[in-house]
Amino acid sequence: MHPIRVVLGKELLDGRRDRRALMSAFIFPFMAPILVYAMMTAMVNLRSQAEQTIIPIVGIEHAPHLIAWLKEQNVSIEAFKGDPQAAVRNKKKDLVVIIPQDYAQRMAKAKPVAVELVSDGSRTDARPAVSHFEGLIRRYNNNLASLRLIARGVAPEVMSIVVVEDVDVASKQQRAAAALNFIPLYIILAAFVSGMGIAVDSTAGERERKTIEPLLINPIERYDIVIGKWLAASMFSCLGMVLTLVLCVLAMSQVPLEEIGLNFHVTGNQIVLMIIATLPLGFLASSMQMLLGIFAKSFKDAQSYIGILTMLPMLPFLYLTFSPIASQDWMYLVPLLGQQILLSEVLGAKAVPLIAYFYSAVSGLVAGLGLVMITARLFQKETIIRG
Amino acid sequence: MIEVNGLAKSFGDVQALSDVTFRAENGQITGLLGPNGAGKSTSLRVLYGLVKPDAGSAIIDGIDVIAEPRSAQSKIGVLPDNQGLYVRLTARDHINYFGRLHGIDENVLEAKANELIRLLDMESIADRRVDGFSQGEKTKVCLARALIHDPPNVMLDEPTNGLDVMTARAVRDLIVELKRRDIAVLFSSHVMHEVARLCDQIVIISDGRVVAQGTTDEIRSQASEDNLEEAFIKLVEAV
Repeated sequence: MHPIRVVLGKELLDGRRDRRALMSAFIFPFMAPILVYAMMTAMVNLRSQAEQTIIPIVGIEHAPHLIAWLKEQNVSIEAFKGDPQAAVRNKKKDLVVIIPQDYAQRMAKAKPVAVELVSDGSRTDARPAVSHFEGLIRRYNNNLASLRLIARGVAPEVMSIVVVEDVDVASKQQRAAAALNFIPLYIILAAFVSGMGIAVDSTAGERERKTIEPLLINPIERYDIVIGKWLAASMFSCLGMVLTLVLCVLAMSQVPLEEIGLNFHVTGNQIVLMIIATLPLGFLASSMQMLLGIFAKSFKDAQSYIGILTMLPMLPFLYLTFSPIASQDWMYLVPLLGQQILLSEVLGAKAVPLIAYFYSAVSGLVAGLGLVMITARLFQKETIIRG
Repeated sequence: MIEVNGLAKSFGDVQALSDVTFRAENGQITGLLGPNGAGKSTSLRVLYGLVKPDAGSAIIDGIDVIAEPRSAQSKIGVLPDNQGLYVRLTARDHINYFGRLHGIDENVLEAKANELIRLLDMESIADRRVDGFSQGEKTKVCLARALIHDPPNVMLDEPTNGLDVMTARAVRDLIVELKRRDIAVLFSSHVMHEVARLCDQIVIISDGRVVAQGTTDEIRSQASEDNLEEAFIKLVEAV
């Protein structure tokens, strides 16, 4: 048996028996999809609620025509009595509409009528309902204006001088994917969380328990030892990523996205592509953790370094969130950033150039291998055996 | 056969070894004596291939440890100063792991492991995880994993340290058994009566150099003392 396989086998056995490390490694892949499901469901509910909100109106009796029109648009209406501002401020209502008493008179004289819309601008959850209602009033206004122009023998087109026509190049799938940016983030985080136990245990742990001296007296190359440990940690890391990916996609498929006009459909092919895109990251994450682990003298020491390391995948996430940029080929070569872009694109069913997979795999593996070589060099040092 | 010639080694400002020369023959038990910090463990670590000396040579069965550390390491079985164990592995897992690292064939590994488990009288603990083992049980696991590849040279760094009377005796019996098998045994110890009774040769190290070597009788006459302990103290303090 090759020494790498011997070390790999031992580390996997040791890792499997470490209940506590296993728990913390694999609780994440199961938590992430629950989070995804909860967040997405909340988002869908908020949007569909906006259309179903019952609109409280003061002075229904003043504008029978408007009310009839609203009812035609499937808007539920209730008469409101009391202090509108207090009701909104106390969050009893998302919004209250006030129709003035002189509505009918002003309307008859063709004068502008103000319909008051009482809302709380700081409440994000009420915003969809408010903007939905604003849109309705705008449409009603346009309808009436057109009718009045026609009555005066003027074509309504005179009102439309420059109009905006929306051409959204994103497919519906892509719009869903934009909302799904956190799935790639979770998968990348899983790479860091799931292999950490073994990566730290087999480096800092080995020093702390003083098992490193007997180990290094065996007639095998230090490179073989380090590579065996690296593969073991990477296997756990990759397993965590695949679990997170598959479970998150499963969770997404349970969210009723079609209710808000979004279409999310991931094929088996896409899952395979995403796995190919991300697995190199497992190797990279483990190599980073092992390098930090060998610098640390104790398990605790190592964990505090590695806690900071786990923030690293947040950087490309924030970068992508705040500066949405068109992906360029070189970006796939940047470890972490490349994988994140690739994942978002595959999730969005966007065509990804084949070279991107190659770049992403190479950048992850080369960077990982480089760090492993540095770790192996550190293993050569005499000071490694001292506690 | 284990041989070191003119070993010197410093760690920063500390001169750990300045001139250490001795040899341990096959079929003989060689005791390494010296106060704490005298350089016993450092000399042994040079022989394990873990520490490179600044000067001098270390040779095991004709192989230069510094030039060919891996081949030299395959000729030695070591009970190091740091007797760390993997808490989640069983005694047998440890023996198998080290056996495989030495490239022992899977077909014979189990039989070899069983033989050692019998020899060290550890049948009842062989398949238990080592977490919670007594010091004596831990030492037995360390010995078993050090001997799984039938090494022709065995080095033990204070093997009876912290053991109860029964286990210490079992370890001494094992050392005698290794000698009977024509193995070169080199061990360090602080226990004078153990050294006096077991060793064919004694090497006394103090302050990084060898101050005396020979049989127990030779050491005693060199110091003109009747008692090994008195002789040891006299030789060490003369430096």
